[in-house]
Amino acid sequence: MLAIKLAFKNIIGAGFRTFLNIAVLSFAFVVIIWHNGVIDGWNKQARRDTIEWEIGRGQLWHPTFDPLDFLSYQDAHAPLSETVQALVEEGQLTPILIAQASAFPQGRMQGVILKGIDPGQKILKIPSGLLEARNGQIPALIGSRMADDIRMKEGDQLLIRWRDKNGTFDALEVIIAGVFDCNVPTIDGGQIWLPLESLRQMLNMPGEATLLVAGENYTGGDAEPWVFRSQDYLLADLDLIIQSKKGGGAIIYGLLLVIALLAIFDTQVLSIFRRQKEIGTYIALGMTRWQVVGIFTVEGSVYSILAILLGALYGAPLLWYTAKVGWALPAASTDMGISIAERIYPVYGAGLIAATIVLVVLASTIVSFLPARKIARLNPTDALKGKIQ
Amino acid sequence: MKNIAILIFPALFLFAFGLAPDANEILKKVEENMSSKNRVFESEMVIHGRRGKRTITARTYSVGDKQSFTEYLSPAREAGTKMLKLENQLWIYSPATDRTIQISGHLLRQSVMGSDLSYEDMMDDRKLTEVYSAKTIGEEVLDGRKTYVLELTAKVDDAAYNRRKMWVDAERYVPLREDLFAKGGQLLKRTILSNVQQIEGRWFPLTIVFKDMLKDGGGTEFRMTKVQFNQDIPAYLFTKAALKQ
Amino acid sequence: MIRFLFKGIIRDKNRSLLPVLVISIGVFLTVLGSCWFKGIFSDMIDVNANFSTGHVKIMSRAYADNAGQMPNDLALSEAGQLVEELQTAYPGLEWVQRIHFGGLLDVPDEAGETRGQGMATGWGIDFFSPGTQEPQRMNIPGSIVKGALPARPGEALISHEFAERFGIGIGDTVTLFGSTMYGGMAFANFTVAGAVRFGMRALDRGAIIIDITDAQAALDMADAAGEILGFFRDGRYDGARALQLKTDFNARYESETDEFAPLMLRLNDQNGLEDYLALSESISGIMIFIFVLAMSIVLWNTGLLGGLRRYNEFGIRLAMGEEKKHIYRTLIIESVLIGAIGSVVGTALGLAAALPLQEYGLSFGSAVQGGGIMMPEVFRTRVGPEAFYIGFIPGLVSMVLGNALSGIGIYRRRTAVLFKELSV
Repeated sequence: MLAIKLAFKNIIGAGFRTFLNIAVLSFAFVVIIWHNGVIDGWNKQARRDTIEWEIGRGQLWHPTFDPLDFLSYQDAHAPLSETVQALVEEGQLTPILIAQASAFPQGRMQGVILKGIDPGQKILKIPSGLLEARNGQIPALIGSRMADDIRMKEGDQLLIRWRDKNGTFDALEVIIAGVFDCNVPTIDGGQIWLPLESLRQMLNMPGEATLLVAGENYTGGDAEPWVFRSQDYLLADLDLIIQSKKGGGAIIYGLLLVIALLAIFDTQVLSIFRRQKEIGTYIALGMTRWQVVGIFTVEGSVYSILAILLGALYGAPLLWYTAKVGWALPAASTDMGISIAERIYPVYGAGLIAATIVLVVLASTIVSFLPARKIARLNPTDALKGKIQ
Repeated sequence: MKNIAILIFPALFLFAFGLAPDANEILKKVEENMSSKNRVFESEMVIHGRRGKRTITARTYSVGDKQSFTEYLSPAREAGTKMLKLENQLWIYSPATDRTIQISGHLLRQSVMGSDLSYEDMMDDRKLTEVYSAKTIGEEVLDGRKTYVLELTAKVDDAAYNRRKMWVDAERYVPLREDLFAKGGQLLKRTILSNVQQIEGRWFPLTIVFKDMLKDGGGTEFRMTKVQFNQDIPAYLFTKAALKQ
Repeated sequence: MIRFLFKGIIRDKNRSLLPVLVISIGVFLTVLGSCWFKGIFSDMIDVNANFSTGHVKIMSRAYADNAGQMPNDLALSEAGQLVEELQTAYPGLEWVQRIHFGGLLDVPDEAGETRGQGMATGWGIDFFSPGTQEPQRMNIPGSIVKGALPARPGEALISHEFAERFGIGIGDTVTLFGSTMYGGMAFANFTVAGAVRFGMRALDRGAIIIDITDAQAALDMADAAGEILGFFRDGRYDGARALQLKTDFNARYESETDEFAPLMLRLNDQNGLEDYLALSESISGIMIFIFVLAMSIVLWNTGLLGGLRRYNEFGIRLAMGEEKKHIYRTLIIESVLIGAIGSVVGTALGLAAALPLQEYGLSFGSAVQGGGIMMPEVFRTRVGPEAFYIGFIPGLVSMVLGNALSGIGIYRRRTAVLFKELSV
């Protein structure tokens, strides 16, 4: 206790220099939290978007469905059993029917994926409500990337051609009922969303689906013949990317932390040099040498405590502000098939802050201890005389 | 407007009084005329792409509608490539790689050589009369020839085209034009048949132009040269082993 | 006098060693840190440039319109001549041809018939020209799971997952069946030289990488290329230079109405990278600023300490009759010398650390998956011109500022008091 009291007094006494040290350390502290918060925020956001827009609480796949193999779509569909249908009606599941087709924007032929979704569904955020029937023409919904790609906008007519279950060609013009903006490229590029019942009719697949998206309350696993794919399974790619981004960022704040620690180290070396008489006095007064080492070490770690307080002072409002306003990111890299929001809202978890505090305090204690070890080898009489080498 | 009325009126009149031949009869006659025990022909396919046109020549042996064997003759790059169709299976052999590749399932829907035809189009081997029921909906004069206009409606589930409209030469029973429609009524493809010649006693259109109506482009022209019917075609030609020879 | 002070610095370890050490380390960290930031933010740019956009990219106008669909029927013809012209007109860039295609990969059984097949995405890149950078650019050597790079024409790399699925070993044959530039059937046999992992599921399912000449032969694209990519020789994307290049190049073809006339796009124009570039500029600017600021504070502190620890000496010197002004001046000159030495040493060390990291990078991702990942999860530093001077801001300026501030004490106190009170 005495050590801590002394440490505070000594440090505060040093005034301006102390402030400089603390300022740098608090920088490192705030940046570490900010950086991790951004990555966590991105992670959470990407996961949340993917969950809300695409995968729900998991999906039930037709056993032959393979999202990466367009050719599998033709056979990957089955009617819903009564039990599954009951779950759909309860709102626990929403069926999606998928088929390959060709679209003809401006007379060019382009392969597209048709996806049928219930306009009344509440599980996914896709604005399927826009797919409510309108005077006879089938409405279609596309994402903004797709809209750019085929140069279509709301109200435009788009000719599509497909083959039904039996291979019979069919074609008609759909009207673009809406263009949605969303961060999940896997429900956007190359895809056209149609009302489920219309697509079922078009494909001659009444009551069928390719997959079902589970809602909040869905508890069941597989439901013959459907295979349950959990969120973890569906988010595996995303997790991988996030993990590596964290690694790259760790170096940044690692360097910043080292800078701050350098300041503490430097200060410690000097203060031990300048306060030899004081050290000698402590020992003469009956303190063991290790107790004196303790005083000086604690002095160093007190820097970190003050830095955290200072960091909290300006960091809290700053971080709160960034969490509220978010950090705008451009739509780049969406071609890589990974969900990246245009605006990332950092998330500062209690665990993150606690871990950062521990890291900063521990690190500064260690760098304070290193120069203080010298005291332990000190001859008290020399120290009293002010001779230290 | 007046012209159309002049054209359609007599047609309706005839139709109403049952004076026109029965549509299914016409279709049958067309099939009798067009099909044979077997045939051997050489062909040129002219494909109009965005880089200009290119011509592919080939020799085809076919027996009935189920078996056919095609060997490409030119251009040099395609020469020696062979295609064997048995029932609903298709193999392609390339001499350069000495490989026989099976084209199956979904790949059959790909375009052949960049043309407006898919492999599947070439493989559709069922008789029209098996798939469609026909109805005469009028008569028209097409390129100076009187034609019956037939409407073919699919009577089976798995027809590629739900409805076709066919203009059949009223005298020679050769189709001169055909429009293929989607289930919803959209015109998908148009085929124009011309250069009708009498070969071994039957009338046969030697030039066929295919056009995908949904996309821009010049269409695909298919010209048959040297058509022979009822030849002696050795049976081994329709085996995979023959591809490699 | 400078020589005199310099001797003092050298001989008095207290005056020299610690401050120089601290400044060196600080400057080292600043240089390394700023290079690291630059590296992280240009990483994304590099991945895009190397894989798809180049620093500039030339396609036919028609190809550019449908670029997402690998429309090789719309490829550039007489690509070889165009590349030669480009090399003459713009020697500051390396020009390479690439073909990106799709097709069916067919695996034969003993009779040469289909044993298995799957759709694949393919690239034709330059493997064999002397000094080619292309395999490195695509990070292929690092992504090979088994086997090796193609060593001769007719060899191919395929995706590892595809190889596993069909039990394809090194040395086995696969057949590419696709569509030629003119729509004809393309057949080509390739001997599998190696298997790569891309780290992207869609590519891992089916992909083939072959030499550009093999691709041209297979796809009937004699002297044609889907894309011609230009890379600045120093490996750096320079938006302004690229814009100038693009304007100049496209002006030559302005009057042509041919849809196959070449069209140049720069990196900014593709994949939505314009915004990303702007963002990364501003973010890395802010981060480097924070870094330099933090380091400046530290070194300022060092300067302060350096001045403070010598109050005793100043007291004696004042007592001996030296003028305050003179002491202050020597203090400043000394700090300039120390700051300069430390900055030079630190910058040298920083560059020594950053340059190899720029070359080889630090990998975080591969530990996750095991085996190479083509989409780089490798972080690299980037040594820009600013790396050579940025360390001097905290190293020199802050050091001098710190000393100057602490030296003010010399003026503030009376000689005797300074001697007594400030002595250690």
